[in-house]
Amino acid sequence: MKRLSLLLIALALLLSGCTSKETISNPRIAVITMMQGGEFWGALKNGARGARSATAAVLEFLAPINEADYEGQIRTVQQAIDQGFDAIILSPSHAIRLKDVVAKARAKGITVVLADTALSELEADFLITADYAQIGASMAEHAFTLFEEGEAINALIIGSLPDTTTMVTLVESLSHSLMGRPNTRIAHSAFSYSNETMAADITSSACEADASINVVFALEEYTAGGVAQAIAGTSGIHFIALGNTRYEIQLLEEGVIDALVVVNAFNLGYRSVLAAVDLLGSKKPAQQPVDWALVTKDSMFTEEHQRLVFQTIR
Amino acid sequence: MRRRGRPYSIKTILSVVIASVSILFTVLASTILYVQFTTTIRANATAATREIVRQINANLNYYTSDILSIATYARDLAKQTDLLSHPQIEERLNSIVSSRQDIVCLLLFKTDGTLLLSTHDAPMRTTAEIVKQQWFERALGKEGNFYFTGPHVQQLFPSSYPWVITYSQQITYRNDEGELDRALLVIDMNFWAVSELVQTARLGKSGYVYFIDNDGKIVYHPYQQLINSNLFNEDIESVQEHIFGTFHTTFEARERLVIVDTVNNARWRIVGVAFIDELMAGLQKYTAIMLVVVLFIIIITILVARSIATYISGPIRALERLMNSVESGDFSAPPLVGGSQEVAALSETFAVMVRRIRALMDDIVTSQEAKRKFELDALQAKINPHFLYNTLDSVVWLAEQGDREGVIRMVTSLAKLFRISISKGRDIITIAEELEHVRNYLIIQQIRYQDKFNFSIEMEAGTEALATIKLIAQPIVENAIYHGIKYLQEMGRITIRVYRRKPGAVVIEVKDNGVGMSEAQLTQILDFTAMQPKRMGFGVRNVHQRIQLYWGSDFGLEISSELDEGTLVRLIIPEQPSIEPPKGVTT
Repeated sequence: MKRLSLLLIALALLLSGCTSKETISNPRIAVITMMQGGEFWGALKNGARGARSATAAVLEFLAPINEADYEGQIRTVQQAIDQGFDAIILSPSHAIRLKDVVAKARAKGITVVLADTALSELEADFLITADYAQIGASMAEHAFTLFEEGEAINALIIGSLPDTTTMVTLVESLSHSLMGRPNTRIAHSAFSYSNETMAADITSSACEADASINVVFALEEYTAGGVAQAIAGTSGIHFIALGNTRYEIQLLEEGVIDALVVVNAFNLGYRSVLAAVDLLGSKKPAQQPVDWALVTKDSMFTEEHQRLVFQTIR
Repeated sequence: MRRRGRPYSIKTILSVVIASVSILFTVLASTILYVQFTTTIRANATAATREIVRQINANLNYYTSDILSIATYARDLAKQTDLLSHPQIEERLNSIVSSRQDIVCLLLFKTDGTLLLSTHDAPMRTTAEIVKQQWFERALGKEGNFYFTGPHVQQLFPSSYPWVITYSQQITYRNDEGELDRALLVIDMNFWAVSELVQTARLGKSGYVYFIDNDGKIVYHPYQQLINSNLFNEDIESVQEHIFGTFHTTFEARERLVIVDTVNNARWRIVGVAFIDELMAGLQKYTAIMLVVVLFIIIITILVARSIATYISGPIRALERLMNSVESGDFSAPPLVGGSQEVAALSETFAVMVRRIRALMDDIVTSQEAKRKFELDALQAKINPHFLYNTLDSVVWLAEQGDREGVIRMVTSLAKLFRISISKGRDIITIAEELEHVRNYLIIQQIRYQDKFNFSIEMEAGTEALATIKLIAQPIVENAIYHGIKYLQEMGRITIRVYRRKPGAVVIEVKDNGVGMSEAQLTQILDFTAMQPKRMGFGVRNVHQRIQLYWGSDFGLEISSELDEGTLVRLIIPEQPSIEPPKGVTT
């Protein structure tokens, strides 16, 4: 009888074990981008939404109004911590200032996945980004094709936020690649803080100060808008930009922009959510850089690039 | 581990058999139910999925038919340029397009890409850009044939990038000269409107519908973005192997139900993908519940089987215990046990048997006691006639000699001898009485043999009142006289001692200095089961048997003898409690 009782207890434990498995079935994830608007961030959020149906995660999108408002982003992360999210997907607008609040989130057991940009000297749980060093090199390589061999290249580089690892990497890579070509110099390098007007002012000032500038690199969509305004009507200035806003595409088609680098922000958002869910389930996410493409007027409608450039289907 | 060859208990056998049969039937029934249920669910899921795909296909067919109707209308209008001006035709076409949100624009191109008619006011791209587009190239030169492209970014108007599906067809129109000429009719449909027909459809939880063209190229896929980003793979290969119909396939470790159907008008194929694990989600729940129920039934079955086995085997076990107690000699246990009719009958029969055994044993005890008594009486009867004859003969001889004193001594001793022999019918007397009996016997024999021997009797203090069966020492003394002292030339001596011997024994020792016995004689005498030599009489064996009859085989006689040295006989009896001697007998 004693053996039978033990058997029944074992069966009961087995049955209870079958139903007591603890998993987060609907993890709450805060997606904190650098700013509320912007087509790049819009595509990232679309990607995150796409992953939502695949993972059953509950997403909340949070961001300050302006991309340069890192204080606002710190407050937003703090808000996410206070609201007890299971995970935070963050694109930090300042690689140093966001460290403390991210450390605080991780100390509270919140999984932090960094999307697009990283933090300096602080390991997050996971980082998903594109190979911006390669993008910078590719932009420089394309610029070289726009000039005759031996022709002087005087470049103006305008980044967006100076304190993001992505922008630092991109500018460094671009500068380094440009300097690798003889008779090439960087006439001026500045940051627009994702402000279109500031980007236009920087471009105008730089071009007035140095009339030899013959190529401009705008490393962000609002910056590209500002540069386009500034160089409108001028000739002899090549323009390579990063982004795929409708305006940028029009400029590409009109020949104002010579090439656009399009990073698959949809992929970035989608995989960030997958990574967060994987980490919450103690699973190692796949380590793979986000895809991107350099698109010209001739290649923008090819089947390969069409779906990347015109990401918003509707 | 069960020892090999050891039989199983009835309880175990019954438990195992009942439980096994019940569990077997439960499992069998569950399996049949499971298989039946699975088949039904699978069939229903397949039918439901096929119906959804069929419905989507019907909607799409309806939609493309609608577009074809518009195209036919436009084609007819294009031939009526002699009757209607271009603005009139455009107005009629505009009225259709403006009423339809799904149609982006309707255009008519010359075969060189020049625009003839348009429902859209925006400036066009160059003819060079127009003619190189897929929808233009595919329709041109194939009168009557129409084409639906896959979704693509419209490239008709600068700075306008809607995702569209393009219908294109080469038609005949009447030109400004009134002659029939070739032209290209184009209808751009909003891709989202088409995708709406499909996107809302869900096959199971995450199943979906997509379209491929004749070349197996994806025309529309709800996860196109993921496919572009290499986040999602589609199993086009297996769809290409199955042109039409329903099939099961496993892709990326997930079993799929795939339904392929052709889309009328568009040369596309519609592919519905449903995941078996989702379609069978209800089955998993059912399986879990069924498993719990089956487990519960099995547990209950085991408990019931044990209860039944206990009910059946319990009385048998009780009967077994009863038999064991009877076997060990305990006849006092209640002989009846309850239980089933058969066991009760068996118990009743056993009870009858036990009662009969008990009666038989009582009979045996009674008869044994009677036999012992009889033997004792017979022994005593054997002693008395010989001795009485000889004693009386000696009394006569003393009387003839005129030895009055001797006669008195002898008759007095004889009287005491008989008094103790009779002992008022008691079998048990004190050792003192027994030795008094021996003393009187020796006195009589001393007179008879004219002081041929002397004797002494010693008793350890405290042994006098100890109980013994009577008349055990006298036959030994008699043997000492008749077979030891009688043949002696010199004075004989008989020494009688009583003492305790551990553990719990009392020894009555009779020692004589007679002729003794050879080793062979002694061996023969010590074999109490064999026939005794006649000259030793029955005395030794009878005394030994009587002692053992009363007290068991641990007691009896010990004899040692040496030729010409004498004989020593020890009567070993258990130390019995003291008893009160009858009145007149001193101890």
